[in-house]
Amino acid sequence: MRNLLFNWRDPKIYLPLILLIFLLILPIFLPTYFLHIMVTIFVFAFLSAAWNIIGGYAGQLSLGNAAFFGLGAYGAVLFTHYFNIPPWIGGVIIGGAAALFLSLLMGWACFRLRGPYFAISSLAIGEVMRLLFLHQRKITFGAEGVTVPFKGDSLLYFQFSSKVPYYYIALVMLLLGIYICWKMERSRLGYYLIAINQNQDAAEAVGINSVRTKQVALSLSALLTAMGGVFYAQYIFFIDPDFVFSLGLSIEFALMAIVGGVGSVFGPVIGAFLLRPAMEITNALLGATYMGVHLIVYGGLLITVVLLKPEGLIGWLARRYETLLKLLPGLKEKE
Amino acid sequence: MLKYDILLQALVSGILMGAVYSLVSIGLTIIYGVVRIVNFAHGEFLMIGMYATYFLWAYFGIDPLVAMIINGPLLYVIGILIYKSLFRRVVLASDFTKIFLTVGLSLVLQNLALLLFTANYWSVRTFYEKMVINLWGISISYPRFIAFCGAVILSLLISLFLLKTDLGKAMRAVAQNWEVAMLMGINPDRIFMVAVGLGSAVAGVTGTIIMPYFYVFPMVGAAFVVMCFAVVISAGLGSIKGALFCGPIFGIAESLGILFVGADSGLIVAFLILLVVLIFRPSGLMGKGKL
Repeated sequence: MRNLLFNWRDPKIYLPLILLIFLLILPIFLPTYFLHIMVTIFVFAFLSAAWNIIGGYAGQLSLGNAAFFGLGAYGAVLFTHYFNIPPWIGGVIIGGAAALFLSLLMGWACFRLRGPYFAISSLAIGEVMRLLFLHQRKITFGAEGVTVPFKGDSLLYFQFSSKVPYYYIALVMLLLGIYICWKMERSRLGYYLIAINQNQDAAEAVGINSVRTKQVALSLSALLTAMGGVFYAQYIFFIDPDFVFSLGLSIEFALMAIVGGVGSVFGPVIGAFLLRPAMEITNALLGATYMGVHLIVYGGLLITVVLLKPEGLIGWLARRYETLLKLLPGLKEKE
Repeated sequence: MLKYDILLQALVSGILMGAVYSLVSIGLTIIYGVVRIVNFAHGEFLMIGMYATYFLWAYFGIDPLVAMIINGPLLYVIGILIYKSLFRRVVLASDFTKIFLTVGLSLVLQNLALLLFTANYWSVRTFYEKMVINLWGISISYPRFIAFCGAVILSLLISLFLLKTDLGKAMRAVAQNWEVAMLMGINPDRIFMVAVGLGSAVAGVTGTIIMPYFYVFPMVGAAFVVMCFAVVISAGLGSIKGALFCGPIFGIAESLGILFVGADSGLIVAFLILLVVLIFRPSGLMGKGKL
């Protein structure tokens, strides 16, 4: 048997590699603005993949993932601001721990119930976090928001004046996120989640602890989302509660996964690659004159997709990809 | 030391607000109980009611209490249109489809309002807005008192409607089991439509009666409905009795939170209560929710 991993002439191997190399050398050619769009695509694809773990695989429709995002972001910024602690500790470790704690609390309160309780509670918890950070002005600066204190180019403080390092970090984050989802889908946890999502009674009958499995998925999702928050804060250099904890943001994570295809590894990535540029364009063209236009587009898109194509675009695109693989030259694995 | 009259004042204003929460929650719970759709766009029905009240007042000088007669039917029709165009397609669909349909609808309505009416806060002027009732050292503003009375009367009327009329009985039958109800000759499609229309009309009328002491802006529904979600969850989804009971509890929690913790912390205190309820009584205080 031929070792597939080293069969470079198989289009199944070389096509993704070409794509990866293309993404790696892209920053050399791209102007700053497009580089920025690419970074947001990567970050949102990552965040949407994180949502997909709880919302897609586990089928627990979270409308409050922004709560975890905001905790990561505020952890990173506030600890640097007050104590000069690098975001790796303040955001990744402390913010991550806070997100983990919140996810445990949410799971404890909601996962014993079936039905739409989790969706409602998660929405409410996101809103409560927003209010909490809005009103504790003495610590969080409230609605004014916080600026990241600039310390010059430094990996320790996760700050760069050029967008190129951010591009590579975001790319690595996304690849890591995809790898985690891919691994999870093929692990015990992934199979458990799919089983629970399909039929909870049947899953429990064969001995799956549904509460604990959902809890693990939520915590994983929370942790990854908090990491996305850290990156966002360090990239944009400014955060305020009305953005980082907003319901709109939570919906955006979900929307990208839904458009791409829920419960699939590449669905969120496809969603982010389609929606993020579209949103940037709508905002650039109309955002200044008409407030909230991009959210009308989001909402309309959400309605259209769930009514007409709730399984997302992944199925259709996967078939196209298969045909493309067949058309490409190269040595293929024989059936 | 805290004076008791301040505490009493907070309790009373909590109850006054709580009755309004109850009313909005009843609309939410009727739609969930009958159609099994959690209406995340419910706050936007309230918002439409408030804007309608504002425009009726601004252009025609119609007092909110009179506007109620126009807004109720208006929102009933809007509810029916939304049912026919959107909800009807997803009645049998999964939770996923239902939830994201209403979430999408909420986003569209909110931002449409932002686009049309800007983010400005608007309010109406009435001749009774400054009037105050003094009762044993507690002062109650007239508009709040009227809204409270309106909420109580409407809640009673809805309960009576559900208990006594044929249509109300049919709605409860469909809520229990729509397939069996269909065998009894009830048309569930029509009942679903009425339920959504009724829920929407109740939200619209609530928006009208709170307008004399509130202000309207595109996100007003979102701010309001989060509290009502807390009410319906701790009441048990689909329980009207629970919503009647829990509304005042959350109203009081909110106003005590404002008194003891600080302004705007009401929702946070209310959510601590919700958390405790969910942990100790997961199916809600009066819910029959499946565990």
